[in-house]
Amino acid sequence: MLVAWRYKKRNSLLQSFDPRAWIIFFCCYLASTLFFWDFRYLLFFFAIALFTVFTSGIPWKEMSRAWIFIIGFIFFFSFLTFLTGRGGMELYTEEHTLAKLVAGFHIFSWTPTLNITAERTMFAASMLIRVFSIASMTILIPYSLNPAHYGITFRGLGMPDKIAYGMDLTMRFIPTFGRDFSLTMDAQKARGYEIEKLGGGLFAQVKKLAPLIVPVTIHAIAGSEDIIDAMDLRAFGVGPRTWLEKLTYRRRDRVLIVVGVVILMFSIALSLLGYGKFWVPGFLIG
Amino acid sequence: MKKTWSVVLSLLAVLAFFFGVWLIGRLINPNLNLDETALLRFVFVGIGLLIVLVIYLLTSKNKMWEVGTRQVVYMAIGAALFAVFSYLFNGTVFVVPSVSQVALRPAIAIPMFFGYAFGPVVGFFTGAVGNMFGDALTGFGLSPQWSVGNGLVGLISGLVWLFADKKKSINVVLLISAVLAAAVTVFYFVNPGTSNAMFYDVDNGIFGDAPISMFAGVSVLIGLAIVLIVRFVFGKNIDVAAAVTWSMLGNLLGIGFAAVSDIWINGYSPAVALVGEFLPSAGPNLIFAAILVPILVGAYAAVQKQTGR
Repeated sequence: MLVAWRYKKRNSLLQSFDPRAWIIFFCCYLASTLFFWDFRYLLFFFAIALFTVFTSGIPWKEMSRAWIFIIGFIFFFSFLTFLTGRGGMELYTEEHTLAKLVAGFHIFSWTPTLNITAERTMFAASMLIRVFSIASMTILIPYSLNPAHYGITFRGLGMPDKIAYGMDLTMRFIPTFGRDFSLTMDAQKARGYEIEKLGGGLFAQVKKLAPLIVPVTIHAIAGSEDIIDAMDLRAFGVGPRTWLEKLTYRRRDRVLIVVGVVILMFSIALSLLGYGKFWVPGFLIG
Repeated sequence: MKKTWSVVLSLLAVLAFFFGVWLIGRLINPNLNLDETALLRFVFVGIGLLIVLVIYLLTSKNKMWEVGTRQVVYMAIGAALFAVFSYLFNGTVFVVPSVSQVALRPAIAIPMFFGYAFGPVVGFFTGAVGNMFGDALTGFGLSPQWSVGNGLVGLISGLVWLFADKKKSINVVLLISAVLAAAVTVFYFVNPGTSNAMFYDVDNGIFGDAPISMFAGVSVLIGLAIVLIVRFVFGKNIDVAAAVTWSMLGNLLGIGFAAVSDIWINGYSPAVALVGEFLPSAGPNLIFAAILVPILVGAYAAVQKQTGR
């Protein structure tokens, strides 16, 4: 049995576009954000993401779990970055200390010290809005893309029939296998398996993971026979495919594609010319 | 035909646009230096796909490249499983303790097994698309070159299909992998103080900056040793032996591709890319390959026997 993402028909800006147009725009957006580390340029992408989220018409109740996970994840990584400056070392050469926190205790003659520098703070802030922009735009897709349109969307983007259908099935299988995984875990727990105690040496850990990974994988492969039979009965892959639904570009879709491509070209041009690199406001350096 | 022309023309237009940017940018401000580092990750995605294309063209006669209903469904299953497992075991959902700086990433067994069992097309799709969706689930879509690297892991594991007699291929593959593993390990002993960029331990204040541990440094050799043990202990079962050896080669080359591309993309030195990034990711992968892939091959053989397929 397949489990579906929580798609619903909504009257929102996002869902008023043709899914192909939205995917093209999304890819342009994703690629464009990768070119910048400058907080000011990233704010532009952050604004687009916020606008999309707030006009998406998806109530908090439906997406709260996804949001809590994303926000927790992003804050965790930004905080790591803030503490260590990891990942940003290549972007700046010197650091300006804003404050120095020295712990009032020693651990084996080591005093925990936290250097808050202008560069690390700005890097963490840039990282925060960059990852938030990417993550929030991505998480909206399964909520706003009609599962019945997956295949025709990828086909319409120029992929061959078989690859498009493969992508369609992948998106449908992900929530299903997520459910299978938790079912398997419950079943194993009922038999005394303890995932919480995943300690021990490396080999012990690997051995403990096998009872989760192997049944889920083999069950998926064995269960696929039904899908293969169903596809074969409908003569999948014999001739060029026709799709049940039809997508048509309207004017707003063309505009969206043009906007996406222009943003991408502009971003590449700026980045080639050396703009949009890591930036620290002057008043922080003083 | 008309379509091909429009694609070629639009590509030319894009090239002309960037050439114009370069010309005009220089005129306005002679100090502006062309900076292509951000663009490089897409260049490396292109290089990776080019490698796939070359492999395909060289062996296109082989029937392993045929894609039927069965392959389409297996591709999708593999990619979805890889995405789900890499999401679950990336350290945020299940907190898995690392042992001597080696973190568990069991998901990599999926593209290896799917490549080996169902051919290179399924393997490549599983690794590349699965990694893409896995990244999307966590919201970290920052490194497209790693998707191609994971795809190569699956593709190379699937090249075993080139050989009608799997047994003949094993020794050559073992030899190539052993040479590669030995070379990287020697490189580790030349640069022993490099930080392990893949290791985080929040409780102890380590964020990818601790010097790489001995265990992580020689993990590729340990993996090689386990693969050798599996190969000779299960020597009778040629499927298991071939699966582990080919997975090993796929892992070394695929992850190697991604790590080496980071030399240009992230500006890593060869020591950081190979010792700090490649060893702590490829080494543990090998250990998983050696343990999980044989179990999967065995379980799949049992399923095949039952269903007669």
